Amino acid sequence: MANQSGEGLELVGLRKILGGRVIIDDLNLVVNKGEMVSLLGPSGCGKTTTLRMIAGFLIPESGKVFLAGKDVTEIGPEKRPSAMVFQNYALWPHMTVFKNVAYPLKVRKMSKSEIEKRVHDVLEMVNLMHHKDSRPAQISGGEQQRVALARALVQEPDILLLDEPLSNLDAKLRVKVREDIRELQRRLGITTVIVTHDQDEALSISDRIAVMNEGRIEQFSTPQELYDAPQTEYVANFIGSLNRVTGSFENGAISAGSDVIGIRPEDVFFSKNQIPGSVAATVTLVVPRGHFYEVYLKRNDAELRAFVSSEVPKAGDAGFANITKALIYRDGKLVRTA
Amino acid sequence: MALPPILVLGTFIGFPIGLAFLFSIGFTGGLNEVLSIIGQDVRGRDGKLFTLQAYKDVIADPRFAGDVKTTLIVSFVATVFVLLFSTGIGLLQRLRGGKLSSVLTALSLTPLFIPVVISSWALYTFYGSAGLYRTIFHSFGIDVPQITSTMLAVIIGSIWVSLPFATLMITSGLQSVPNALIEAAQDAGASLITIIRTVMLPLALIPIIIALTFTSIGILGSFTVPFFLGANQPTMFGVEITNFFSVYNRPQQSIVMAFIVFAAASGIAFFYIWANFRNAKESGRV
Repeated sequence: MANQSGEGLELVGLRKILGGRVIIDDLNLVVNKGEMVSLLGPSGCGKTTTLRMIAGFLIPESGKVFLAGKDVTEIGPEKRPSAMVFQNYALWPHMTVFKNVAYPLKVRKMSKSEIEKRVHDVLEMVNLMHHKDSRPAQISGGEQQRVALARALVQEPDILLLDEPLSNLDAKLRVKVREDIRELQRRLGITTVIVTHDQDEALSISDRIAVMNEGRIEQFSTPQELYDAPQTEYVANFIGSLNRVTGSFENGAISAGSDVIGIRPEDVFFSKNQIPGSVAATVTLVVPRGHFYEVYLKRNDAELRAFVSSEVPKAGDAGFANITKALIYRDGKLVRTA
Repeated sequence: MALPPILVLGTFIGFPIGLAFLFSIGFTGGLNEVLSIIGQDVRGRDGKLFTLQAYKDVIADPRFAGDVKTTLIVSFVATVFVLLFSTGIGLLQRLRGGKLSSVLTALSLTPLFIPVVISSWALYTFYGSAGLYRTIFHSFGIDVPQITSTMLAVIIGSIWVSLPFATLMITSGLQSVPNALIEAAQDAGASLITIIRTVMLPLALIPIIIALTFTSIGILGSFTVPFFLGANQPTMFGVEITNFFSVYNRPQQSIVMAFIVFAAASGIAFFYIWANFRNAKESGRV
């Protein structure tokens, strides 16, 4: 079977059963060389199972895994041209930072001088030279994360696999480390697949995102496409915030119907003055969300939430609410954007 | 809060040890007086600060060299085999699981539930001159040598007795190595042997060292197994100490031997403490 992508990664019709349950079913994915792709989904959707099949820790019941143009489906992780960063970093506590990073090169029986040079370079790259003689227990979570990344990068893999690499870091550090990862990935041009359940993380660092649901990919698009035109109701609900109303949407008004209308809160505008297409509305609640406010509106045809950052109304204010964009779903699929 | 246990240890262990040590270097009066009157060849210090005559007696005794050799060989060989078996079972269970490893683990734990004296007797009758082992071979016309009353029998018995504790320790140590650490080594390109050597065994080092020290100290001072299965001479220190004390009525020389065994055991215990300390240092706990 020929690999369509030539280089990078291709998954063809993967199926995996664990404990008698189908975890992954007919999963297809093509990741181009140098691309950073996120597998995004809730717990139990099969994203880690997919990553483990790419890494070689799990063998699919059926389907193929191509890495850099080669069929690696039956090859064990030790022989695959991939390197993985584990969720809990999986650093060996009895080795120093240097030895942890040098390990993959040592098992490949590289010369001592070559190991020294490559480890030195990669530790410089992740700014950890000063910790080369420390043990994992003696450095912070963020630094451990960078050691795990260095250990993967030192192998110069064809593909880098990251399994929820930021989930053990605090919120501020997470943002910093994800920017570091993205910057490194861009600089090295390394094909990367990252598993995450955090949509912010996926949206901010990915070239493309595969949103997964019950072992299948619901949508595989760029972050912008995914947000602006989620192809299924599931994706629309999962990515960003959504007003979900059942009815029919025409000329900015909602009437009785069976479609599901998805409206992003930032596409709802409240104003004291009526404009064409707006409907009378009353503010029922205003919730501060930091740099914006979440405003709960009661319109004649629906109850909606709007995100407001300036001219914030008060609860009880009467005015008009205007919907600038709506996603219309029928049987869970996007039928049109209004 | 630590005072009561220290007092108990001091009274019931420290004090008798001190007294015995003084007796071994010639302090034959006071609480040691009765023993010095009853015992034979008791060496007093005769006005000197202390005397090492009892130690010289023991070292000069031709039986001593044979006993040292037997004790060291049995302790070393049996400990090595116990560690090999228990590590092998632990690795099999950790890496493969399945029926074979469950059966082996269950078998290795069986001796835990059989008193040493019973199992020693069972091994004696099995390997004895008219035991099942020789009878089976004899029925095929093969005359195999008798194993009982040899060092080999003591080694087999010592392995049997020591295997359960070592298997429990090492198996639990290997079980606690997180999967991710093994997978990370796999992902880095390491073969199974390399993973065992560089990741699994070092991470289970402390349980292995505990098993090593407790097994070797246990065998070093064992009595029942060598008493039943070993030769009369040379024998292991556990048996010889008893012989010197009750059969030959030479309590001072018996105590000297006990101190020599104690010194050897202390050396092993020091290794254990050193390994623990090193491990704690490596993991940043001290």
